[in-house]
Amino acid sequence: MEHKPIALLLAGIWGIVAILPLFFGSTNFIMHILIMCLIWSVVASCWDLIMGFAGIFSFGQVAFFVIGAYSSAILSAKFGIAPIFAVFCAGGIAAALGILVGLPCLKLKGAYIALVTFAVHMILEPVLKGTIGRALGTGGSRGILTIAPMKIFGFTFSSSNPVPYFYLMLLVAIICSAIIFIVIKSKWGTAFLALKDAEDFASCLGVSSYKYKLMVFALTSFLTGMIGGFYAHYIGMLSTRMLGIDLFVTLMIILVIGGVGKFPGAIIGAFITIAFNEMLSPIGPYRPIILGAMVVMLVLILPDGIVGLVEKLFPKKQHELTH
Amino acid sequence: MFIEIIDVIISGLINGSVYALMAVGLTLIYGVSKAFNFAYGSLYSLGGYIAFLLFSLAWINNYLLVFCLAAPILLVIGFFLEKLLVAPLRKRDDWEIKVMMITLGLALFLDNSFQVVFGARMKSLPTMLEGSFELGEFILSYQDVAIFIFSIGGILLFRWFLNNTRTGMSVRAVAQNPEGAQIVGIPKEFVFAATFAISTVMVGMGGILLAQKYFITPTGGWDILVKAWVITAFGGMGSIKGSLYAAFIVGMLEAFVGWHFGMTWTLIALFAVLLTTLAVRPQGLMGKWG
Repeated sequence: MEHKPIALLLAGIWGIVAILPLFFGSTNFIMHILIMCLIWSVVASCWDLIMGFAGIFSFGQVAFFVIGAYSSAILSAKFGIAPIFAVFCAGGIAAALGILVGLPCLKLKGAYIALVTFAVHMILEPVLKGTIGRALGTGGSRGILTIAPMKIFGFTFSSSNPVPYFYLMLLVAIICSAIIFIVIKSKWGTAFLALKDAEDFASCLGVSSYKYKLMVFALTSFLTGMIGGFYAHYIGMLSTRMLGIDLFVTLMIILVIGGVGKFPGAIIGAFITIAFNEMLSPIGPYRPIILGAMVVMLVLILPDGIVGLVEKLFPKKQHELTH
Repeated sequence: MFIEIIDVIISGLINGSVYALMAVGLTLIYGVSKAFNFAYGSLYSLGGYIAFLLFSLAWINNYLLVFCLAAPILLVIGFFLEKLLVAPLRKRDDWEIKVMMITLGLALFLDNSFQVVFGARMKSLPTMLEGSFELGEFILSYQDVAIFIFSIGGILLFRWFLNNTRTGMSVRAVAQNPEGAQIVGIPKEFVFAATFAISTVMVGMGGILLAQKYFITPTGGWDILVKAWVITAFGGMGSIKGSLYAAFIVGMLEAFVGWHFGMTWTLIALFAVLLTTLAVRPQGLMGKWG
């Protein structure tokens, strides 16, 4: 896609989302879902950046999210750091770990990278529940039950009145999507495209794959960890249940619906998926079955997601929509 | 102390043999078609549940009969899964990631279907052989011996199939060079589906063998997927010989770490060994890039 339609689409999406509280502001339940949509849209966009654009099969996005959430909660509870700073520290911790995970991935390919990053996800649960985690203050298998709410300049964002927090999250989401947009538009984006299409040729021309891969690991895990911190201070409690396969697949559905490597698609996908997921919650145990079947059907029917479908429906614009 | 170490080695050997059977199945798909199957663990549970259903029929009472009935069922399921889900994606540029996604969706679907159909409670299978071999303090149950023999037998049968049958040889040809194989008239699509079907049988058989020791649960397959994955990456993805060595190394490692430090450390130890190996040799013990 060209850059101008992406920018217009982004502006359109955020414009519509910004006025939603006018209609639903009094219903706390719907505002809660909207906040979740905003949070997951950032996580999904980050995943899209690393997987769709950089072509790295990273499966550790949920792990970085959980790391960010736990670090922010522990920093604010144990060290008394104000939540607004703790959130950025959490992003920094996640970014440091992201680089650490990224290092062995530099020499690996395809399914190997998926394994190493998924391994982080798998190890995280025993670590958080075990003695190491308890020493750090994760509360073992009980989790962290009281997390200080977000507070900026003396104003407390409580979960009983979600509208202010919604606008805070909207601001964060807009900044994050702007950063991702700039990255895709910049030299980085071009470098990723070159590395994905012809890695050997690109590195012959002097595009350092190590540098760009590490940078994208650092950036996506920073943003994901930070948004994890915002999540922790909003929800107020954490447990390792987030590491279940359920959330992981939900995030994947967001990407499938939005389209892998079709940037603003992940944001649209997040809103559709989270809202749909909430609608399905009354049917209990059948929900994950439907989610699983949905992934299978969507990958087969809608392989490029909604953005891909739009591109297909309006082939006239093809010459300006493709790279 | 000495007896304990012997016990640990034997348990490592037995687990290693079953892991080998399952890891070879996973590495086979990757080696032939470069597809990664995330639903592998769910197919493991599927094998267990199929055996459970077969045993609930009145006239089935021994394992040989169950194996003979379960293998064709798994073969057909695997064949159609590949034809319906993986094959349509193969012509796309980004099919690798799409295959991972679709099989992950399939895993979620299967796991939760098991939970709804069979309930979240653990199911157990009857033991294959009763009794044990005793020599002083040293005890070896016949069940473990049977599991070991069946897994090694399965691997040898698979080896015979690859080397001596026409389909097996075409599988090897496609693994070496898909285009070349197609030029000499080997039906590539059929071979892809056949390897998927064979690997489904192998993991399903592993599920039946291990279910009598570790029970069947709806989500029990994830552990197996991760182990099989670690073993294949450790041994080199696509390398059958590498997977065999890696499976026994991992089985031993797990047994010793579990015995000395406790079971919670086994996963962490596995990944530590894997990361160190991949840092030194990114393609695994015996793998090739390509």
